[in-house]
Amino acid sequence: MATVTEPAGATSTGTGSPKGSGGLLRNTWVQALAVVAVLVAGYWLTRWAGGPSWAGSFPTGIGESFMAWLDGIYAWIVANRNDSPLFLYFFNYVSVGLGSAVVLINQFLTFLTWAGVTVLGVLAAWRIAGWRVALVVLATFAVFALTGLWNESMTTLSLIITAVFIALLFGVPLGILAGRSEGFYRGVRPVLDFMQIMPAFAYLLPFVLLFGIGNPAAAVVTAVYALPPVVRITALGIREVNKGAVEATTSLGSTPWQILTKVQLPMAKRTILLGVNQTIMLAVSMVVIASVIGAGGLGDAIFQALTKINVGQAFQAGLAIVMLAIAMDRVTGAVGHGAHTPDIPEKYRMPLLGGGLALVILVVALARLADLGGWPRDWSVELDKPVNALNDSVEAAIGPASAALGTWTQTWVLGPLNGLLTGSPWWLVVLAAAALGMVFAGWRAALVSGISFLAIGLLGVWDNAMDTLSQVLVATVVTIALGVLIGVLMSRSDVFAAILRPVLDFMQTLPPFVYLIPAVALLGLGPVPALAAAVIFALPAVIRLVNDGIRGVPKGTLEAALSQGSTGWQLLTKVELPMARGSLLLAVNQGIILVLSMVVMGALVGAGALGNDVVLGLAQNELGLGLASGLAIVFLGLFLDRVTQGRRAPRA
Amino acid sequence: MPRLLRRRNLTRLFAVGLALVMVSSCAVRTDQIARDPNTVRMAVNNWVGFEASAEVLAYILREEMDYEVQLVRVDEQPSWQALDQGVLDVIPENWGHEDLFELYGPEGNGTVVDGGPNGNEGVIGWYVPAYLAEEHPEITTLEGLKENTDLFRTAQTGDSGEFLAGAPGFVSQDQGMINAFDLDLEIVYAGSEASQITEVRRRYAEEEPVLFYFYDPQWFQEEVDLVKVDFPDYYEGCDADPEYVDCDYPVYELNKIFRAGFVENDDHAYRFLDNWQWTNSDQNAVAQMIADEQMPPSEAAEIWVNENRDVWEEWLPEGYEDRQKG
Repeated sequence: MATVTEPAGATSTGTGSPKGSGGLLRNTWVQALAVVAVLVAGYWLTRWAGGPSWAGSFPTGIGESFMAWLDGIYAWIVANRNDSPLFLYFFNYVSVGLGSAVVLINQFLTFLTWAGVTVLGVLAAWRIAGWRVALVVLATFAVFALTGLWNESMTTLSLIITAVFIALLFGVPLGILAGRSEGFYRGVRPVLDFMQIMPAFAYLLPFVLLFGIGNPAAAVVTAVYALPPVVRITALGIREVNKGAVEATTSLGSTPWQILTKVQLPMAKRTILLGVNQTIMLAVSMVVIASVIGAGGLGDAIFQALTKINVGQAFQAGLAIVMLAIAMDRVTGAVGHGAHTPDIPEKYRMPLLGGGLALVILVVALARLADLGGWPRDWSVELDKPVNALNDSVEAAIGPASAALGTWTQTWVLGPLNGLLTGSPWWLVVLAAAALGMVFAGWRAALVSGISFLAIGLLGVWDNAMDTLSQVLVATVVTIALGVLIGVLMSRSDVFAAILRPVLDFMQTLPPFVYLIPAVALLGLGPVPALAAAVIFALPAVIRLVNDGIRGVPKGTLEAALSQGSTGWQLLTKVELPMARGSLLLAVNQGIILVLSMVVMGALVGAGALGNDVVLGLAQNELGLGLASGLAIVFLGLFLDRVTQGRRAPRA
Repeated sequence: MPRLLRRRNLTRLFAVGLALVMVSSCAVRTDQIARDPNTVRMAVNNWVGFEASAEVLAYILREEMDYEVQLVRVDEQPSWQALDQGVLDVIPENWGHEDLFELYGPEGNGTVVDGGPNGNEGVIGWYVPAYLAEEHPEITTLEGLKENTDLFRTAQTGDSGEFLAGAPGFVSQDQGMINAFDLDLEIVYAGSEASQITEVRRRYAEEEPVLFYFYDPQWFQEEVDLVKVDFPDYYEGCDADPEYVDCDYPVYELNKIFRAGFVENDDHAYRFLDNWQWTNSDQNAVAQMIADEQMPPSEAAEIWVNENRDVWEEWLPEGYEDRQKG
């Protein structure tokens, strides 16, 4: 009987053999340990030798001249913004156009009044996605109104509409091109990879430079940040269209244009809408960050609350963003799935549409007669006081203990790791990175890892990058450990899973700014609260992936193992976890990328290192420093991504 | 076949695009962005005193003069850039920044104008809590601080003392002072003012030592008892080399900075802002309501405006009432 489970496990994991049985995996870990041992030995040798100059950190000369070059570009742009044709005929067009678009949409929403916007939104949601989603949309508008943030929400909404529109305007055609041409797809994929690893904050600086402060730059930066998923998923959708269908229409003499519009696009519609959904979600998260460069709205409300250290107020605005994100997700998700749409016979559709429009116009007319505008602030419910009280009592209760934990983490974990990475000779670290790439993912990854580390050195930010790397590693280990633990528990109990799911939704959409300040109050300033925030941010995705992976293990396999008398622990470690290996690897990969995306955010609470230089570059207009540090984060991301992707095929 | 067609499509696309550019070929300057002449766009930098000034001005502009006011929250340096690009009209409270004035002022590209002092005086310096100064009275002098840097050691800074810096956007010469006075200190960047204050508040509650960058007027000064460390006074040019600064921060006479186009328009909003001047205690009164009593900023502004009619009536320009009727 034992042979029944073994092959099933081996085939479904596909790559590599399950834990415990083969020599390969053990070998991998032994090799990795050997690499680390060499690094540690190198570090002690260097210390013993008294730190000779050939064994220090990366020389910064080249990096400094690179930064100076970027600063030169910056000075040129300032001097020529209103003279150079490049700006007069291109960038300024874009920024003036977009800035005006945001203003116009916002004015339109104001014109509709709160009553009109609500009726329009709820009716549209009902028609597209059914009454359940319409209720969610209604609840969202209620939160906007009752938190007293109606006007801010409308500003954010106009920004999102503008940004998503631009992202789709460029993203869908790019995706179609990538879907139809293999060469174009190969060319565009590394660019998309790069865009997705680049931290959101690092985008801001160059865009401020080209498009100015405020809404124009915010719209462009949000659009660019939100672009990759729609390109990727549209390309995927077009590729997945049945080859037979395409060939059949070709043989009937259709032109490529006909094939695209009559066959490929209709058949890929659902997948493309999924991409649109992802793009909207990214836009929502970026709009908050864009408040750093003067975009108004809900993000700005959070920032305002934070300068006064009013956690309750920040939470209110955060709640409005969470609701906005959930509502947009549900509406676009429903369009993608096509489920729950009310079933209306063909002949009633036009009258219904007309009736709906008439209703909206009536409501707007009435509301304007009654002189309604934004929701009156007096009619709001104050959530901030109870949240602040809760926050204060938590601080009082566990403050001293958590502060001690923070100091302990700094002294015994972060400090030594950072010392090891910055204290070793730079070339040894580069070699170690390449060796780890080789061990985990083959020679291609080894090459990418080595080059990434060299590039970091050449950018002139070696020490800071090593500091950041040590923080990211620690945060990732904590995230994975907690994520696997909670994910396993979640897969064990349906009740627990049902309770946890909305919590995860909430954690994933709540802007991290909101929990940064409580983290400082509890853990003390420095890298530790930043780590805590990164863990909170990255955890939901990891938990979900682990849960999905374990739940995806075939029932038959489980029953076979149980019938042999496996204990629960054996079932988990010998069957479920090995069989969910693909999901686990993906979880590790996602966890790292998400933790990395919090590096800059963490700098806002004293994490220092690369993140601080990105923020500094933005705040003090030091383009060179900011951009070099942002690029270094991308290279760290490339290394970590390639190493953890393992030998699997690259992402689709 | 498809390849050829695609190329033809591309050519067509290019031709249409080119035609569009030709048709619309007039140069666009960034200050041509859609803007309502009745809207005043004001920078709000990230500290509460600044916000207090901006909210009071906005309240009067809105309620008394019938303007729309857009408060745009940005850092110090980017707000200059925003004036240059024409997306903001005024920075009501500016701390120094001679370098930026050279770049954008009349000597530079001429997009901003110095609007003169706003009546507030700003002090930046290094501060320690009062309990620490009581325990170690010598610590507020340069010599005493030099000998006692080990007091400020933390897990993160190891053998050096910790100097807690302010938000990354703020004016700073801390590293230059550490170098010039040969202090065994390492700068730790709080990353934002909110996290800096949170950390100081935490240490204050535990009566732990802390040495940090701070300034006045600042509402937090009312909540805790701080003592400023004495350094040799500022003299002309002592901060020329940012790596070596052997003096304290200067006392800043805070001023207003206007967008040149806004001054040229010379409408009532500009004249009002030009007339505006008030004292540190005026600003603190509003800032405290916002920060300590956690009042919405516009409400705090309203209270101050209602109680100080005699102060702000002098700022109103002649003939502003006509505007309201129109």
